[in-house]
Amino acid sequence: MEEIQADIPFTSRYSMTQQRFTGKNAVRFDQIEEQEIRETVGEIRLENPRLSCHDVNVFYGDKQAIRGINLDIGHNEVIAMIGPSGCGKSTFLRCFNRMNDTISNCRVTGKIMMDGQDINGTVIDPVALRVRVGMVFQKPNPFPKSIWENVAYGPRIHGLAQTKDGIHEIVVKSLQQAGLWDEVKDRLHQPGLGLSGGQQQRLCIARTIAVNPEVILMDEPCSALDPIATGKIEELIDTLRKNYSICIVTHSMHQASRISDRTAYFHLGHLVEVGETKTVFLNPLHPLTEDYVTGRFG
Amino acid sequence: MESSMDKRLKKRYAADRRFRIYGLSAVAISLLFLSLLFISIIGKGYTAFQQTSVLLDVYIDPEMLDPEGTGDRALLSSADFGALIKQAMRKAFPEVTARRDKRALYRLLSSGAEFELRNQVLAHPEQIGTERSIWVPADGSVDMLMKGAISRDTAESDRPLKDKQLVWIDALSSQNRLKKKFNTTFFTAGDSRDPELAGIWGALVGSILTLFVTLLLSFPIGVAAALYLEQFAPRNRWTDLIEVNINNLAAVPSIVFGLLGLAVFINFFGFPRSAPLVGGLVLSLMTLPTIIIAGRAALKSVSPSIYEAALGVGASPMQAVMHHVLPMAMPGIMTGTIIGMARALGETAPLLMIGMVAFIVDIPGSILDSSTVLPVQIFLWADSPERGFMERTSAAIMVLLLFLIIMNASAVILRKHFERHR
Repeated sequence: MEEIQADIPFTSRYSMTQQRFTGKNAVRFDQIEEQEIRETVGEIRLENPRLSCHDVNVFYGDKQAIRGINLDIGHNEVIAMIGPSGCGKSTFLRCFNRMNDTISNCRVTGKIMMDGQDINGTVIDPVALRVRVGMVFQKPNPFPKSIWENVAYGPRIHGLAQTKDGIHEIVVKSLQQAGLWDEVKDRLHQPGLGLSGGQQQRLCIARTIAVNPEVILMDEPCSALDPIATGKIEELIDTLRKNYSICIVTHSMHQASRISDRTAYFHLGHLVEVGETKTVFLNPLHPLTEDYVTGRFG
Repeated sequence: MESSMDKRLKKRYAADRRFRIYGLSAVAISLLFLSLLFISIIGKGYTAFQQTSVLLDVYIDPEMLDPEGTGDRALLSSADFGALIKQAMRKAFPEVTARRDKRALYRLLSSGAEFELRNQVLAHPEQIGTERSIWVPADGSVDMLMKGAISRDTAESDRPLKDKQLVWIDALSSQNRLKKKFNTTFFTAGDSRDPELAGIWGALVGSILTLFVTLLLSFPIGVAAALYLEQFAPRNRWTDLIEVNINNLAAVPSIVFGLLGLAVFINFFGFPRSAPLVGGLVLSLMTLPTIIIAGRAALKSVSPSIYEAALGVGASPMQAVMHHVLPMAMPGIMTGTIIGMARALGETAPLLMIGMVAFIVDIPGSILDSSTVLPVQIFLWADSPERGFMERTSAAIMVLLLFLIIMNASAVILRKHFERHR
């Protein structure tokens, strides 16, 4: 315990909860379930964050899906969001590029700051925001067009290059970055839907990085893929962290432990614990986290 | 245990086979009725594509056409060509002298014969003063006799051709002066009181103009409405109300739309009656709900993940819809449009109300001219007492069906084109 505490910057909130949960299984899981307000344990704030959430709530109609989340996301870090189904991690992820706007009865409150501006405010346009915060979805969803067209679409509508050659350059670069170039360079003008599932997902990643975002959101990108394709995506994430901040929602705890720098554990709309991945998996501070990562439930 | 399982399995297979037989027989019955329909229409109508003509030796008398030899076309076109035709008939049958008999003799030829002669003379003025053999259309009753629709065995008082006329027809026939030729009139002329001069072209052009107006109005408006309602409109009481109303509109009897068109477009706006413009407007009102409903269904069937993907790379909602959702929904929207247009093509009732049932001889030149349409023409001909209109009714149905097939085929080709570019 001593070593871990030394790694974690103390906040008043942390010290409080720390005291409460001293000793493993000191408080039983079912007792915690009853508590309405749950404080997050672990390192919430970072120095110089890329994205910073302050008391974010999400409502679907009357139902509250996300309850008062505070979290920072740093530069060039991979943060994994784990938790049982329905815990709100995907909903939370979709707050970052305002994808929840497309759901008619969905309401987001609280502040999400990006470079000193609230992305839910009036200064930042959601369309412009989505260029800076790209997204890769659970199911590979390439456009029903050619491979080239799939990657070229974003740069073209944003006018990132004026000539066709310029666009082509971006397409080549993005496909190379996504590790797909060697596999598709001879069939760029064939339909994107003709690729295998893993290739399609990498095509979607290439499409996302083609518009040069700062943050990439990934919503369970490997849940529809086999282990080999998953391995390739994980390698890709490892290379992408040099240039981008990556938030990845995953159901696989192994994946989270393999690829992420930090891990956030969600439970019923609460952010229960966040910290260095190693800490969260090996020495979780919160009993709920421990139950989940050790496979006792979830 | 084993045997009861086997028994049940056998029963299930038997039920399977029975079901397949039901399906097959349903298809067979519908095919049977379809072929019966085609056989009856083609059997009744194919004769209309031929028309009996008479070879007549006409002396193109300059004394009667152009006594002063001016060569003036206006004078020539108003000259009395009927007299020349009558002269030629009298020369062919010099034994006919009584006035009544002469009139009966002239009636063997169609009233269109003189127009045929006039057209030829106007095209070749150098033929004036010579004797020419030209084919002129025979009267409808002669045509019917040649096609066997009038029997010689019926009593003289019961048939349109009298015994004397039959003798003359036989005389012409024995001289090889009576022949069935391809009926070009049917494909180039407008309506006429005489079946041998009546054609489908006027109604066909009227149908094309009307459908053109319908498509031009209902497709863009229908697609825009479907797009707005499906992609952009908020879900609330008002949009629900609109949806219910659109669904109800699709089921409104078409004659109601005709009355609406009469009251609004003709009486209030003062648009010309019998015009393809008004017909097109009325049919658009009728087609719109079909296109909107089909369009919404097609848009709904596009996976939302495509819309999200487009938003994810920073497309605006408008771009996401226009670049990705709409193209994917296009084949479905086209199918709805085909159904709507096919219904509009066959629609008669609302067009009766706006005056497209009028007897119109001229070929319409624009959407403001008076015209009729194919189904109304069929209705008019089916109502005519002359024997010759019966075969023309069937022939017009064939033209209507062919038009429908061409329209649908081109739409299918267009749809395939869109599907390929997905």
